[in-house]
Amino acid sequence: MKINLMKSTIVLGVLLGVSACTDLELEETDSIFREDTGEGFSGVGDVSSALVNNYNNLRGQLDTQENLYALQEVSSDEMLVPTRGTDWGDNGLWRTLHQHTWDANHQFVLNTWNNNNRNVFNLSEIIAPESNANPQQLAEAKFLRAFSMYWIMDLYGQVPFREVDEGPSVNPRVMQRSEAFDFILQDLTEAMPNLPSTGPGPDAKFASKAAAHYLLAKLYINKHIYLGTGSAATEDMNQVINHVDAIAAEGFGLQSGFFELFTPAVDSETIFFTETGVGSRMWNGLHYFQTTPDNSGGGWNGFSTLAEFYDLFEGDDDNNHPGANQEERRGYVPFEGTSPTTSEGYFAGGKDEDGDGFVDGSDIGLGFLFGQQYNLDGSETEDRGGNPLFFTKEMPGLLGNSESSGIRVLKYHPSNGAFAGHMILFRYADAHLMKAEAVMRGGSADASALEMVNELRELRQASPLGSLTDQDMLDERGRELYNEMWRRQDLIRFGQFNTAWEFKEAKGEFVNLFPIPSVALTSNPNLVQNEGY
Amino acid sequence: MKHGLLKIGLFLSAIFCFGFTQAQETVTGTVTDGEMPLPGVNIFVKGTSNGTVTDFDGNYSLSNVPTDGVLVFSFVGFAQQEIPVNGRTTINATMAEDASALSEVVVIGYGNVQKRDATGAVATVSAEDFNRGVVASPEELIQGRTAGLQVTTTSGEPGAGVNIRIRGTTSVRGGNDPLFVVDGVPLSGTNVAAGGSNAGFGDSSPKNPLNFLNPQDIESMSVLKDASATAIYGSRGANGVVIITTKSGRGTASRIDYSTNLGVATPANRYDLLGREEWLEAYGAIGGDVNAVDEGADTDWQDEITRTAFTQEHNLSYSNSYQQGNYRVSLGYSDLMGIVENSEMERLSGRLNINHRLFDDKLNLTLQTGISRVNDKRAPISNNSGFKGDLLGAAYRANPTLPANPDPAPEDFTGQVIPTSLLKFTEDETETDRFILNASAEYDIMENLSAKANVGYDKAESYRGFAISGDIQGIESAVPGNGRSQINEIESTNTLFEFTVNYDKDFENSKFDALVGYSYQEFERRGTDVGGWGFQDMNMGAMINDLQNSREAIENSIQGSYQQYGFDENGLFVNRLFPEIATDRPGAPSGINVAALAGDTFYTVDELQSFFGRLNYSIAEKYLFTATLRADGSTRFGGNNKYGFFPSGAFAWQMAEEDFIPDTFSTLKLRLGYGVTGNQEIPYNLYTSRERFGGVGVGDNGIVNIPGTGQVTFRNEDLQWETTSQTNIGLDFGFMQDRLSGSLDVYYKETTDLLFQTFSAQPAAQDFVWENLDANVVNKGIEFSLDYDLFNDEDFYWNLGFNISYNDNMVEDFDGSVQTGEINGQGLTNAYAQLLAGGQPLFSYYLREFGGFDENGQTIYPNGDVQTFTGKSALPTTNLGISTRVEYKNWDLSTFLTGQFGFYVYNNTENAFFTAGALNSGSNVTRNVVGNGEAANNAPDVSTRFLEKGDFLRLQNATLGYNFDINEESFLKSLRLSLTGQNLFLITDYSGLDPEVNTDKSLNGIPTAGIEYTTYPRATTVTLGLNVSF
Repeated sequence: MKINLMKSTIVLGVLLGVSACTDLELEETDSIFREDTGEGFSGVGDVSSALVNNYNNLRGQLDTQENLYALQEVSSDEMLVPTRGTDWGDNGLWRTLHQHTWDANHQFVLNTWNNNNRNVFNLSEIIAPESNANPQQLAEAKFLRAFSMYWIMDLYGQVPFREVDEGPSVNPRVMQRSEAFDFILQDLTEAMPNLPSTGPGPDAKFASKAAAHYLLAKLYINKHIYLGTGSAATEDMNQVINHVDAIAAEGFGLQSGFFELFTPAVDSETIFFTETGVGSRMWNGLHYFQTTPDNSGGGWNGFSTLAEFYDLFEGDDDNNHPGANQEERRGYVPFEGTSPTTSEGYFAGGKDEDGDGFVDGSDIGLGFLFGQQYNLDGSETEDRGGNPLFFTKEMPGLLGNSESSGIRVLKYHPSNGAFAGHMILFRYADAHLMKAEAVMRGGSADASALEMVNELRELRQASPLGSLTDQDMLDERGRELYNEMWRRQDLIRFGQFNTAWEFKEAKGEFVNLFPIPSVALTSNPNLVQNEGY
Repeated sequence: MKHGLLKIGLFLSAIFCFGFTQAQETVTGTVTDGEMPLPGVNIFVKGTSNGTVTDFDGNYSLSNVPTDGVLVFSFVGFAQQEIPVNGRTTINATMAEDASALSEVVVIGYGNVQKRDATGAVATVSAEDFNRGVVASPEELIQGRTAGLQVTTTSGEPGAGVNIRIRGTTSVRGGNDPLFVVDGVPLSGTNVAAGGSNAGFGDSSPKNPLNFLNPQDIESMSVLKDASATAIYGSRGANGVVIITTKSGRGTASRIDYSTNLGVATPANRYDLLGREEWLEAYGAIGGDVNAVDEGADTDWQDEITRTAFTQEHNLSYSNSYQQGNYRVSLGYSDLMGIVENSEMERLSGRLNINHRLFDDKLNLTLQTGISRVNDKRAPISNNSGFKGDLLGAAYRANPTLPANPDPAPEDFTGQVIPTSLLKFTEDETETDRFILNASAEYDIMENLSAKANVGYDKAESYRGFAISGDIQGIESAVPGNGRSQINEIESTNTLFEFTVNYDKDFENSKFDALVGYSYQEFERRGTDVGGWGFQDMNMGAMINDLQNSREAIENSIQGSYQQYGFDENGLFVNRLFPEIATDRPGAPSGINVAALAGDTFYTVDELQSFFGRLNYSIAEKYLFTATLRADGSTRFGGNNKYGFFPSGAFAWQMAEEDFIPDTFSTLKLRLGYGVTGNQEIPYNLYTSRERFGGVGVGDNGIVNIPGTGQVTFRNEDLQWETTSQTNIGLDFGFMQDRLSGSLDVYYKETTDLLFQTFSAQPAAQDFVWENLDANVVNKGIEFSLDYDLFNDEDFYWNLGFNISYNDNMVEDFDGSVQTGEINGQGLTNAYAQLLAGGQPLFSYYLREFGGFDENGQTIYPNGDVQTFTGKSALPTTNLGISTRVEYKNWDLSTFLTGQFGFYVYNNTENAFFTAGALNSGSNVTRNVVGNGEAANNAPDVSTRFLEKGDFLRLQNATLGYNFDINEESFLKSLRLSLTGQNLFLITDYSGLDPEVNTDKSLNGIPTAGIEYTTYPRATTVTLGLNVSF
């Protein structure tokens, strides 16, 4: 009996022990495991789903006032984020952007580097032959990769590249600007035949022939800057013109009604957009007491523009209320809200969700919010201290600002929803101006640069120019494209990015490139810090 | 002389035993402790396996006892006795309680040892030494009770998370909490309660995962500190091990215990905010228009959101021992209201522990099982709220002239967040059910050989419903008018199988015992997170119901497996991973009554397989040797590094037994130990290229974007264990029969191959990659503890206990630098306060040097507007515990002080809310802001201005008790009344509410310490307790 029991205990124990021994291999419960062997790469799990993911990543990366948007806009002469007492100090990130005193540890410099490089790797995986993407998928992935790589080249001047089968122990090789330029050019060229001709409409959120032509035009118009060749080559300018003409051939063109372009409605100017909420393009400048029913918390009272930039627009100097002779693109600050039954003007026929008899948010101005702000009922808006909310042109400096210093800029409008998901990335007016500039820089087209600029100005209800200088061209781009992430690049192309402007001293040309983030240098010894940092 | 006689006697009886045919008879008797019969006492005939135990009246009967034999009586907690039979047939024994501390049993991994024989640094705290009063979770029971153990409750919230550091912080990124083993079941290191983000208010800290255990069910907690003790737990031992043993029925005759605690808690401290008139005056003085901000009322917002909280706790248990075993069954209920409105923790628990012996006691069956339900209600308090603050931040900054009405008419609405409306319009409730079981069978195969099989099962199911009503006004994001709700579910299952074999052998002058074992543990974790937007009925209960019904309608309609789904104005989509990646757009079922919702699931399984062994060898009871080895295989690591080996060795020398040590020493023991342990607390499967769908949620525009698939890790096949090696030298000493006793330990711990989430070299699939960092974290320290019975008379007993530990932490050989310690608040986006770098301790502050204000009220930075190392760290260097207990006749008084020293706290609350600029923007501030020389437009950037010394000494608890005299005929066995005060005073220079704090301010994947931001305030609690036994 005893011995039997003993035996059975041992047997049981051994059995349990042996049967419980495991090879510790995980099963796919939570995720798909790629069947990689060693350093090999077996292709992405599903190409179309991976592509969706990349469009989503792009959207997520732009759904903020930080990173790429901040690097391109807040570093320029059209925007600044003043520190207002306890507000917007944010560890100095905004001040250093404005003053061009950023360093390799700047958070946005790092985030932008990471975001775009990560996109490049994910897209390279789709592009790799192992993934078996169909021709259109391949073309879309190449366009998207070119888009992200374009920003890396533009901002940092160096583009690292990792092959899909290279693991974390491999230090990616680094392309200098000219090599990266060719790489992007090749991606776009290869993509072109298999990209769809979408034309204006809701599908403009996907890669298309028109979007690829647009990016090619951007490459060529900046090529002499990227390659450091001094001045633009005629054949490059003709490339710009050809690509812009190709966009027009896809059905895109200029359209009147400037602020209507920045709504979710279909228009003929939007070449490429993303369904990112535009909240971070609106609320960051609006005051706390500028609210809509779906955002009763109001704005974040930060972003402003510079007086000099505001002065580029036509109109009376002292105010921007209706009747100040302003051109359309300067917008206006209404004296009161608009009734939903009104049949003309921007707010005509808008939503009144809270039923107060006014279109939601119709007391908030368009374009440049300067001077006294008003409530829906026509009363003066007050600041938190009970003083009239009067946005001033003048500011004491980057520090020491009050709640009301600085003119606010609003291109998208909260009356279309506090967080409407429609952000424009490529717009035909930009292509049109690129074509004009290409002609100005020696390209040949069916119209002169001045004619093209005036064509746009006429549409925007601005008086025509009599002649066209470089400065006029830069200014015109500023008036048309403010807040659309092109200002830094334009200033560099016109040689003005490192010059002095309000609250900023002139800097060396090295600031035309951002530093390689310090953690990137640590993680990849093939990278060399840009000169000047 | 006596000994000599006894020896001769034993010798003679041995000769008789072997030399003659023995006369045998049956011996009976009763065993008592002097007053009461003792059930469950082990009795055996010396030198044989013939034995029995006393029944529940303390009686025993043992047959086949040689008339010249010796009976050995043994019972845990009592001194072993040997009584020669001398031909008697009735032998009554009186067991004496074992006063000597060194004969205490110490629970170690996979077994017990007499403290005398322990070679490692192990401290056991048993129930009588636990902290008293309102205790939500087990760790609080031993806070400050033993040297080298730092217990920091992260806030004053009922059931708040607790950080435990045994001998410093070893890991940069991996988990730093010790391994908890409850009745032999090692718990998983992950959180089991559903929690997470509070739409719009940031994230809240997880609650303490040990809340499921009723502290009243715990018999002892054993803290394994050095590597020679923890190496038996191998890969999970690097942060120390805490072994929790629950109460059994052993040694109790049929007994019912009932205890209750009734407590009252009030906030221990509050900010010195301005009152209505003072605030208006200050606001006017800084240049504001007083009339514009005066809303007419006089509201004390701190009062509005806090309350006097009541606590009740009831525990009922029945325990019994019988001849072949014992059992204990208990029921507990506790309801801990928090001092902040809307916060509460309720626990219902039951436990059944059974021990039963079969086959002449050769087979010992044990079952330890507990079941619990914890209901948590939480107020909207977060770790990282932005410029408008969470409930606490909003209350600190709220205009004191604003009426407390949570729901003002639209025209009275000022755009500020009204704290009371956060209370009124949010709801956050979590229910967590947990079942834990350990069943074991131990069989004595031969006299010296036993085998044990052990099965453990630990299952937790947690459900959280969160809602923020669309009726709320004044918050950002698209909540007003729409409402948001969340449901989070987690199901965690931890299964254990263990098999061990024990062999022991006594030789003439030495003893040997060995243990070998195999262990397999599986951790399964699955859950669903659902978020909804756009509700019809803005009642929060209805919102959560609507979301639950809507998700059920969708989940029931989906055929096959899925990872996630979403529903909005564009209809329903389903994202599947298996059998292949697909996005389906089936028609939406009926029954969805929210405008948009999105659900996402996760399901991970991890395994751990281990082989381990231990050898103990002692010579002449003076020289003790222990060696252990554990091999662990884990699914957390892949490729070539699946298995890790963790050896240890220890030696102890009982010097007091040596002739050259003066008799003054009743104990003198030297301990040396060295061991290697590991850490595997990293996320699931980081070594395979894995894909799943990206996160899903309802956007502020009410749209659910359909996610695509992407890589979730940048796979690293070379990932391996983080390794900690530790050397320990210890000395235990005692004088006067150990009336004065203590220990001194010195250790050196070095952690290498640090598991670390580092920035990938781009381009990469992920921004971060997990690596074994080629750097070291060194912790070295000294621990000292002393225990002295100043008086030990029948009527008067006075004990003094003292422990102190010092730890020095340093990161070495690290070239990089990584920002951590996120600072939040108005104008503080992207700010941080700490930097990880070589040559600095972990959690070193990296700040601008503050030099006061200039004549314009702007901050002066003498060293420039740049952040630099301050030479100060958030880690305490010194931990202190002082306890004293006085017993006089029926009265007893015990008090306990705890302190932490040598660390700094970053006051993020002050940085975000209490500055001149905050006052200028119409917020309330603390009194010291008025006239502090700061200009209204000064930017309060992160600087040493907000860094403060955190040193504190707290009267953690004081208990006065009275034990009634019970008449022997009474149906009562004991009756005790007690009054306990907790957190009665706090001595500190820290200007915030409490320096013992750890708001989770992780950044770049690095945890933080020492930062305080809108932390749930701590309470002062007074509790009346009643304990009665029948």
